Amino acid sequence: MGFLGEPPATARRAGHLSHPRPPRRGWAARLIRNSLLWMVPVAALWWLATPVYNRMLLSSAGGLLSLFEHPAVTELLAKGDHDAYVVRRDFPPARALVHPFHVTDVHFHLLLLGALFLGVPGLPWRERLGNLAIAALVTVVYDVLLVVFIVEFVYSTQLGAFSLAHYGAVARNFWGLGKHLLDLPFKLALPLLLWCAFYLPQLRAAAASAAAARAAGPAAPAQRARGAS
Amino acid sequence: MSRRRRKTQQSPRPAAPSGGAPGAPGAPGATKPAGGASFWRRNRRELTFLALFAALLAGSFTLISVNWVNDHAIEPFTGGVARASGALLNLLGQHVVMRGTVIQGPRFAVNVRNGCNGVEAMLIFLAAVLAFPASWRSRLAGLALGILAIQVVNLVRVASLYLTGAYLPRLFDASHTVIWQSVVILFGVILWVFWANRLPPRDEPAT
Repeated sequence: MGFLGEPPATARRAGHLSHPRPPRRGWAARLIRNSLLWMVPVAALWWLATPVYNRMLLSSAGGLLSLFEHPAVTELLAKGDHDAYVVRRDFPPARALVHPFHVTDVHFHLLLLGALFLGVPGLPWRERLGNLAIAALVTVVYDVLLVVFIVEFVYSTQLGAFSLAHYGAVARNFWGLGKHLLDLPFKLALPLLLWCAFYLPQLRAAAASAAAARAAGPAAPAQRARGAS
Repeated sequence: MSRRRRKTQQSPRPAAPSGGAPGAPGAPGATKPAGGASFWRRNRRELTFLALFAALLAGSFTLISVNWVNDHAIEPFTGGVARASGALLNLLGQHVVMRGTVIQGPRFAVNVRNGCNGVEAMLIFLAAVLAFPASWRSRLAGLALGILAIQVVNLVRVASLYLTGAYLPRLFDASHTVIWQSVVILFGVILWVFWANRLPPRDEPAT
């Protein structure tokens, strides 16, 4: 007997117990539980990696911007671990720091991405990490693009006479709407979009299984659990 | 030795966790048409969902960025969120007053703006529900309950942000941008997974 009067686990493993094991939770329930549990370690890792990732983002986006500028005048200057300035070298020194922004805000969706991809139940670690790596790569490209849109949004709409002189109405709307869409809906929904790209068939199959189990009646949960492992 | 044993103990990819859904993509019994052209046929449902989801997201967020919609729908809604949050804070004994979208108390004040009103999470949830193949009845029921739940969580978020600003101001910035945004979006995603998993059997797509 165990401390709480329960039979020892070895007896259960050896098959000495007549009562069946309680049914395991469904696939979706385990996904939700695992994702919530993974949030904490993923958040800790993200927080530790953020200073390095911010600098990588700024240098990548700065490099991308310089490819399309003639002459290349934009510099993305890191300010501490979490902030940055958009700097224009062709402006007078007193006005060269044209816009501050919080770089860490660009990529906090990595938290959701990590938790959702690591929380998928019943998948070998190699496959789970492989899928997460592909999704993270897509997210890094997205983040670099978002920084580029933030800079172009500032140039096209926030610099008064300079914006009006150098950007037409179409360009101002393009960069403005593009920044709005990339910075809000797609940034927040990207983890779910990527997760669905990999795991929607599993979710649909789990839903079909749960529906079949509900239709079959009370004996079904154990059956469903066996199929969902 | 132990490595090999661990590998054999790993369960295979749950292409059909149900043991049912034999026609699901990747299921053992599913037939896989050959050739690149068959990629669309094999993944038609997934690709349709992703395209619809992205289109609905872009469309709905473009719509709320129009000034008229913002002034006549989003701003009044945000005012309602601020009033409800203020009422909750008064229930908690904070003695706040509301001025438009501003909640002001003796220790701190917050301005509830776009991004803090839960509309983003609502629209992401709406896009995911509408894009998923289900009957309109299931979609409407999911939307009604889901949006209500998201707004309840958002109410807690605004109230807790006020309390964080009043009593733990050093944590306000991180709590405002990173923690609560992630929590509200994760909550929306979890609601959607829960809804999709609870669809009634033979729930045929309405689109």
